[in-house]
Parts: sequence; structure tokens; C-alpha cells
Amino acid sequence: MSGILIFSENNATALELLTAGLGLKATMNQPLCAVALAEEDAAALAAAGADKVILLKGRDWPEGYAQPIAELAAKDLAAVILIGGTARGKDIAAKVADGLDAGLVTEAQTIEIVDDKLQTTRLKYGGLAVASEATVLPAVVTVAPRTFDKATAAGGQGQIISLDTADGDPRVKVSDLCPIERQGVDIAAAARIVCVGRGLSQKEDLALAEDLAKALTAEIGCTRGIAEDYHWLPVERYIGISGQKVKPEVYLSLGVSGQVQHVAGIRDSKIIVAVDSNEKAPIFEAADYGIVGDLYEVAPLLTAAFKK
Amino acid sequence: MPKILVCYKWVLDEQDIRVNAADASLDFSRAKYKISDYDKNAIEEAVQLQESQGATIDAITFGGPAVKQSLKDLLSRGPDKVYYLADPAADKADGHVTAGVLAAAARTKGPYDLIICGEGSSDAYNQQVAPRMAARLGLPAITFVQSLKLEDGRIVATRKLGDCTEVVTIDGPAVVSVVPEINKPRIPSLKQVLAAAKKPSEEIKIADLGLTPAQLTPKTVSMTVKGFVMNRKNILFKEPAQADNVAKLVAALAKEGVC
Ligand SMILES: Cc1cc2nc3c(=O)[nH]c(=O)nc-3n(C[C@H](O)[C@H](O)[C@H](O)COP(=O)(O)OP(=O)(O)OC[C@H]3O[C@@H](n4cnc5c(N)ncnc54)[C@H](O)[C@@H]3O)c2cc1C
Repeated sequence: MSGILIFSENNATALELLTAGLGLKATMNQPLCAVALAEEDAAALAAAGADKVILLKGRDWPEGYAQPIAELAAKDLAAVILIGGTARGKDIAAKVADGLDAGLVTEAQTIEIVDDKLQTTRLKYGGLAVASEATVLPAVVTVAPRTFDKATAAGGQGQIISLDTADGDPRVKVSDLCPIERQGVDIAAAARIVCVGRGLSQKEDLALAEDLAKALTAEIGCTRGIAEDYHWLPVERYIGISGQKVKPEVYLSLGVSGQVQHVAGIRDSKIIVAVDSNEKAPIFEAADYGIVGDLYEVAPLLTAAFKK
Repeated sequence: MPKILVCYKWVLDEQDIRVNAADASLDFSRAKYKISDYDKNAIEEAVQLQESQGATIDAITFGGPAVKQSLKDLLSRGPDKVYYLADPAADKADGHVTAGVLAAAARTKGPYDLIICGEGSSDAYNQQVAPRMAARLGLPAITFVQSLKLEDGRIVATRKLGDCTEVVTIDGPAVVSVVPEINKPRIPSLKQVLAAAKKPSEEIKIADLGLTPAQLTPKTVSMTVKGFVMNRKNILFKEPAQADNVAKLVAALAKEGVC
């Protein structure tokens, strides 16, 4: 039981895992092996500090690589397997963990080796709590994209080995791969956000928030209900534990109650401002500044003030 | 007629859990149990397939002794029968143990043409039971499903993968996990609630599943669980005239260097 293995089908995430993996390597003093599915990704990982990169070939569905990755990890006696916490990554991680008869920690925020166990922290109860857990080795961990910074190319000399894998599962056919069109910018990266919740009574009133956002040079975000139930805004604009996690300089909410699943997505904001008519709304506990009032009255006044 | 198994977890409602600000400990004293939100989507999807295809639905849950309270709620949502494993081991179970228990029970009571899970549980959200169960049963897994069809022994599912969608077609049985947007779970009618009382439930004992002690030992153990304490300024402006509040807020933000 020894080394560290990292994998993400998304190369930006793989480079973030490399940062986490190199951190573990410093305490474990063991080689770090990366698995890649494309030549340029393999080269980037080797250059950025992986000791060895296995370039897997032969299957056209990333999830189909779960079994070869588990076999590689078993053969290499990998002790810690870090997998990028994308949807595909979570699927693969569970199958790899099962193949290795190992534990799996989902979306770990911190990862350490202490007393030959993997110690991690992760959110629980919709983001209300942080759980510290210990997992016996070998252990599989998924790490959400953007949890760590990308490892930067350092002229590494990692060896790249190509490996052909046998055919995938004949029962499974994948078709109609279709990109989801992003409508507008990535709010995860926005510097300022005006967030609307169900305090808004009709779709047309989004104009109020848009005016405010313009005055503040902010992007519009929303709660899950606005995107998933009302479909007033595209799903990639909703913020929270199951939506986007944001970290703007300023987050300003209009008619957002501040349930835990939403607040879990805004905690890294520098300043949180809330406007809500209910003084008892939980959003005020999460806010730096709050105005108790009707958003229909407050938003236009704010817009006018910011325009000045 | 297709035979469906739907899995659900009986969890504490996170809305009722309070964080003690002094030491970040959690106060569960007012917390009630509920069917995990994501599993309500799994149950609803099974019921919609039943309505369109005439399937039979078994449900299964693995939980602590309190799990028996869930049976009536579950049955009123449409499934024909429920199996339950009520065992204190559930409180410490990780994905490895839970998937092993559910897979062994599914093998005993099946075979099933389709096993449906939610994408994760709303308490621990480990998101691994469906694919791990599939691996144990030697079946394909289709995770993050946003639409699902049964067509002559084939399962056709559209998955939602962050930046794209894809269609996965499986010949024969599979385990799927569904995302919340797949449907809107209905609220049981009074008639359904009354009918639930007449539907069968059956207890399964873990000891009868033939699992080894290693299979029942969690790989991951909890060390501490602490409430997330928000450290914010909590300055509230609540003058009757909104113009005053807005002026104060803008002044405060100006001080912060925002505008
Ligand atoms: C498993 C799970 C995952 C979830 N994930 C997410 C997630 O990722 N993101 C998310 O956002 N939610 C998520 N939710 C939903 C979440 O629990 C809340 O239901 C949701 O965030 C509430 O949205 P809201 O604040 O828009 O609506 P509400 O809770 O209905 O709040 C509306 C607010 O508007 C105020 N209001 C009404 N009228 C006015 C007015 N005229 N002026 C000013 N204020 C007004 C009200 O006082 C209230 O505070 C999740 C739920 C579950 C169970």
C-alpha cells in the first residue's frame, strides 16, 4: 500500500488534483501517478509534476475506464486515489472504490494522511455542518472542481506510458452527446452578484434586479426555485449546494430566504447584503448588511443610489 | 411486466437542525425525520413508469430503528410493497456498507429489471450508493439521469453531466440514480394515504443476508461533526423609511470600498 493516483477526465481539474496529490506526496513520501485519457493532458500532467502518467486508450466513454483505473490502482498498490468531483468523476470514483473494496469520500475539502488513515473534511446536512472523517487505506476521494489551485508547469520530467484497455461493457451504448449551451457568463467567476429568490412575484419583475445589477456592474444569480421550478433563469445561474458555488466581492440578495442549501453556495463571498421583507429570514444571519423591506420598494432606490 | 426496486433513506430534516453558536455543536432535539428529498424524485419516477408501463414497484430502505416510521409515508407515494432493514448499524454505515446491504437484499428479493436511487441523500450526500450497488450486482450504472424510459427490456436514460447531456441505452437491467429535475414528486392524496395502510411491508434482517463482518464494517468513520458558524457583521437597517436604509447601506458599502 503506497502511492498516490490521480484522475480527472477534465484536465483543468486534473491539474488541481495534482496540487492536492503533491501535498500528500510531501507527507507520504510516495510516488504520484496520474491517469489521463488524452495525449496533451498526459503531457501537461507530466510537466506539472506527476512522477508517472498512464495514458489510457481504447474506450470511448470515460465511465468505461473505471475498471482499468481500479486495476491500475490495485497493481500499483495505490493508497490514495484522488478523482475529480465532476458528475462523471463521481460515477467513476464509486466504481473504482468498489473494485478496490475501498472507502470513498465525496467532495472532500481538506485531505491529509494521519496515522496511516486518510483524514478529510466535507459538508453534511445540506451545508449546515462540516464532518471530519477517517478512512482506512486504500481510500478513494473525489474533490470538487476549483477546490485547489492548478499545479503550474514546472518543467517536470514525468514518464508517460500508454496503455490499451480492452473493450468496454457491451450492454452499454452511449449516443447523442450534446453540449449544454451556457447562457451568458459563468457566475462562479463573477465579481459581483445580484441574486433573486422567490420573493419576486413574476418573471417580468426580473427587470428590477437587472437594473440593479447594471448599476452595480453585477451578474444575476438566483435560488433553485427560480431556475428549477419557475424556469425564469437558466439552471447554471442558480447558487447553492446543488447549484453554483460563488465567491464574489459582493453578493446582494433580493427576496431570498437563505435556507442552508442556498447559503452553502455563498459563504465564500467577501460581503453579503440581503434585502428581505421578513426580519426573521435566515439570510440575515448569513449577511453582513441587511435591509428589512419590500424589494419592490428597496431595489429601485438602491439602483438609483448606485448609479450616482 | 417490469419489476422496479426503488431505494430510499429516512433522514433527519436539516431545516430543523440548529447550530449552537457557542461551540458549533449541533442540536438535533427538534429535528424530525423525512424521506430524503432526492429519493422522493426516485420514488416519483418509479411511479410514473408504473403508470405508463404497468410496472410493479418494491421499495427498500436501510436505517436505524426509527426507519419503521417511514413505511406509511413511503407506501402512500405509490410503491406496492416495502422492505426495510432496521438496524443500529445503519447509523454508522458508509457507502460501502449501505451499498453492500442494499445489493444483497436486492439479490434476495429480485431479480429487478430496474433499480432506482436518488442522486445522493440530503443528509450525507455521499453520492455513491447507486454505482456501488450496480458494481456489487454486476449491473451497469447510469448516474445523474434527467429522463428515463423503458423500451422492450432496454433502459434509455438521458444523463446530465455539468457541461453536456448524453443518452445511455442499456440492454437488460441496470441501476440508475436520478437528479431532482427529472420530475416533481406529487403530494400523496388522502385516498393514497388510506390505501397505504393495506399495502405489505416486510422486515429483512441483516443477519440473513450472508454478509461478512468485513462487508459490514465501515471504511470511513466519523470523527467530529460541527455546525458551520457564519462570521458575518449582521448589521440590519430597518428604519420605516427605505430611503434612510438605502442611504445607510450605501454609506457602509462605500466604507468597504465597494462603491
Ligand atoms: C436537497 C436540497 C438541495 C437544495 N439545493 C439548493 C441550492 O443549491 N440552491 C438553492 O437556492 N436552494 C436549494 N434548495 C432549496 C432550498 O432549501 C430553499 O427552498 C430555496 O433556497 C428557497 O429559495 P428562495 O429563497 O428563493 O425562496 P423562499 O424560501 O420562498 O424565500 C422567499 C423570500 O422572499 C421574501 N419575500 C417575499 N416577498 C418579498 C418582497 N416583496 N420583498 C422582499 N422580500 C420578499 C420572503 O420573506 C422569503 O424570505 C435545496 C433543497 C433541498 C431539499
